[in-house]
Amino acid sequence: MSNEQTEFAEFFRGSWEPCLRAVVAVVGSPQSAEDQVAEAFAKAWVSWRKVRRHPAPRAWVVRTALNTGASWWRRRRRELPLADHDVTAPGDLGGGLDTTLLTALWRLPARQREVIALRIFLDLDTDTIARQLGIEAGTVRMHLSRGVTALRHELTTAKNMEAGQ
Amino acid sequence: MNVHDEMSDNEVLRAASDSLSALPVASPPDVEAIMAKGRARRRRRRLSAAAGVSVAAAAGTALALGLTGALGPARTPGTIRTTSFTLVSNSDGTATLTINPKELLDPTALQSDLAQYGIPAKVTSSSFCTSDPAPAGFAQVVPGQPAGPGTGTPQPVAQPTITIDPSAMPAGAELSVGYFQLSSGEQQADVVLIDTSSYTCTSTPPDFNSPPPGYDESDSLGLRYDGPSPAGP
Repeated sequence: MSNEQTEFAEFFRGSWEPCLRAVVAVVGSPQSAEDQVAEAFAKAWVSWRKVRRHPAPRAWVVRTALNTGASWWRRRRRELPLADHDVTAPGDLGGGLDTTLLTALWRLPARQREVIALRIFLDLDTDTIARQLGIEAGTVRMHLSRGVTALRHELTTAKNMEAGQ
Repeated sequence: MNVHDEMSDNEVLRAASDSLSALPVASPPDVEAIMAKGRARRRRRRLSAAAGVSVAAAAGTALALGLTGALGPARTPGTIRTTSFTLVSNSDGTATLTINPKELLDPTALQSDLAQYGIPAKVTSSSFCTSDPAPAGFAQVVPGQPAGPGTGTPQPVAQPTITIDPSAMPAGAELSVGYFQLSSGEQQADVVLIDTSSYTCTSTPPDFNSPPPGYDESDSLGLRYDGPSPAGP
């Protein structure tokens, strides 16, 4: 294995899970997210000389995965015009999960989900998220604030209901 | 106990992170397989690029001969123009749809072209699909009001125009556009968000003066406009 291959392999093994979780947070379906992230890492390898110098290579993978998902969905719709979007229902994901929070997260607009995913799984600061998404830092702060407010509302409502029972 | 004030932004984000981290996800596949997939991708791209040169040459020949119609509808970068509508991709990521009331709407082309701009939509003719309850977020997906005086009222709109923001589309939702040719000769298009996992469709045009069941004024849109033939007797 060449130095370049070794370097990519290390990046891949260390980045697979955070990138996958970030994409799951946005698209909602672990299966679709897995396919999209695998495709994005394949693209990262094709462009490795560029990606390795990228200021946030994991964010490059996540962004590419999300774009890949959009184009896949377009193709799938043409082939199966009546196929349902395959977002996972939180209740189907096993016990012990905060289904209220996951449901609330996947109801947020796509941009809010992207900002939250990049913050919590890739630990990116506001300016880096803004550069990755091609939007202003102030817009990132707005999406983050609105998303967090919506999640807080759902969480506190659920907790207050629990406490009241 | 009221816990509303006890959760900081960081605590909310940590709770979201914990919930998502508890989801079972796949282990990384073999890196060799990923690299092989990348190499296959690169080969396909080279083949496509070579094929593209041939297509471009053919297109150039067609243009020189004035045969653009043979290559499909006229299109410019960021704009899809058909006889019944124009769809413009804006620099902020939104798309603006303008309907030509002089022509019957082509639902298949509209659905396909919306998808090209990342807008998942179900465009149906003589049918309209809705979900009850309605997904939230319509006002963000279709911000503002359509141009023209007909919004929400049964008046003809000269050039119905709406702007759509695909980045605001909630997960699991898509735009439902129901298109009807009315007996009066007018055309009606109703636009809502539907939950792709739960919706029903009806062949009856929705009452133009009230939102469909499960929707309210802020999360539905009705457009009525003149058809290609004169309305009424």
